Formats: sequence, C-alpha cells, structure tokens
Amino acid sequence: MADVVIGELLSPSSVRLGQVAPDWEAAVRQVGGLLVDAGAVEDGYVDAMVERERDVAPTFVGEGVAIPHGTLASRSLIRRDALCAVQFPAGVDWQGDRVVLCIGIAARGDLHVPVLAQLAELLMEPDRAEALRRAGTAEQLLALLTPEESAPT
Amino acid sequence: MSIDASEVRKIVVACDAGMGSSVMLASTVRKRLKGRDVEVAHTPVDHIPDDADVVLCHLGLVERARRKAPGRVVVPFQLFIGDPAVEKVLKALEQGGTIDG
Repeated sequence: MADVVIGELLSPSSVRLGQVAPDWEAAVRQVGGLLVDAGAVEDGYVDAMVERERDVAPTFVGEGVAIPHGTLASRSLIRRDALCAVQFPAGVDWQGDRVVLCIGIAARGDLHVPVLAQLAELLMEPDRAEALRRAGTAEQLLALLTPEESAPT
Repeated sequence: MSIDASEVRKIVVACDAGMGSSVMLASTVRKRLKGRDVEVAHTPVDHIPDDADVVLCHLGLVERARRKAPGRVVVPFQLFIGDPAVEKVLKALEQGGTIDG
C-alpha cells in the first residue's frame, strides 16, 4: 500500500476550490460531475451518489468534511478508481451538518484506502483539519491528503 | 448479543458500498489496535463475512447488518471521529471487558 501514488487517484484537475452550492444535492452533483469529467464513472453514478446521501445516510464524517460516493449497486458504473475534491468555503447545509470540503469517491478496489486513512488522521488533529478545509491551492490540498508513508522525503 | 473482548479476532466495519465511511473508520480502528491480534476489515453491509466477531456499522444500517450477520455482535455508531460506542469497543479490547451489541 505504501507505493500508492495519489496522482493516479486524485489529480489537480479534479480539485475545485472556492465553489458555491445552494444545497447538499447540488454540491454532490458538482462533485460527481468531476468524476464524470475525469472519465472515472458513468453519468448514472452521480444519481447513485445523491441516492446514497438521501436514502442510506449522509456521508458527513465530521470537521466540515463529507465523502460522497455511490451505492453498492452503482459500483458497476465505475470505470476506474478515482477521487476528487471540492471546497465550499461558505459551507453547505448537509442535512443538518455544515460541510466545507467534499472528497468524492469512486472505488471498486482498495487503491484509495491509504488516502482515506490519511484523511481520517487529518480530521483527528484540529490544526491539520483546519489547514485542509482552508487549502488555498490544489497542491496544498493534495499534499495534505498524500499518505504519509508514500510522501516524498 | 455479547462477546468477551479477549475472544475477538476480527472486527468488520460495514457501510452500504464498503468504499467510503467504512474505510475511514476501519483505518482509525486498525491504527488504534496495531500490535494486537485483531484483524480489522471493511466491507459492504450485504457482504459481512461469517468470521466477523464484532460488526461496527452506521446507525442507519444496523437493521440490515443484523439481518446479514445474525448471532453477531453489531455495534451501531453515528460519528466517524470519537464515537462513544466505538470508543467503548476499543476500550474493552485494550483493557478487557464485554462488548454488547
């Protein structure tokens, strides 16, 4: 797992900072749109992401972060594993919680596991969680999300 | 259902698709239990393996998990960071005790 290269999963072109969304559904559609644009998923995956938030449970994980992704049934709509990131500095109401950063996920395998583990680490440290939410460039955000064991030394 | 913490060899964190929330919680639980003889896996709730001793799953999925894993200890959680129910399970594994679910 240590040889995971975040660039294969999450490239700067799949990071959008300073975005605005009127509600969680619009935010999820923006996030899903990036996965479609990256060629990672079929269009229908975006509807499954909305369905997951609405009918299963919101993917809010704490510290202003949500991790929208599809349902089990929609895994067949994934062409390749990919992540994307969208920042909403003004916040989006996420069915009662406030979200300023979405990490969108399309995964059939476990390639992304080290990145989510790194995200979990960041969110347990208030200073680094704040740095992640306030990232001013895609490169800053990617650097924070890069699993530590594979970070360049 | 309950199980003595000393008998736990495998914890499964389950969510709907097994690609997001379960991955995050499993990674924090795995790190906390590093060095102990306890395997931590993440799976979709419909694919919980038979050898799971304890299943952690989001409150909204607990009925599905109980149907899928009858006779297993299923512990619902709400928070991905610092959930009291998860903390209780980890404390039992670290210090001994019974896990109910």
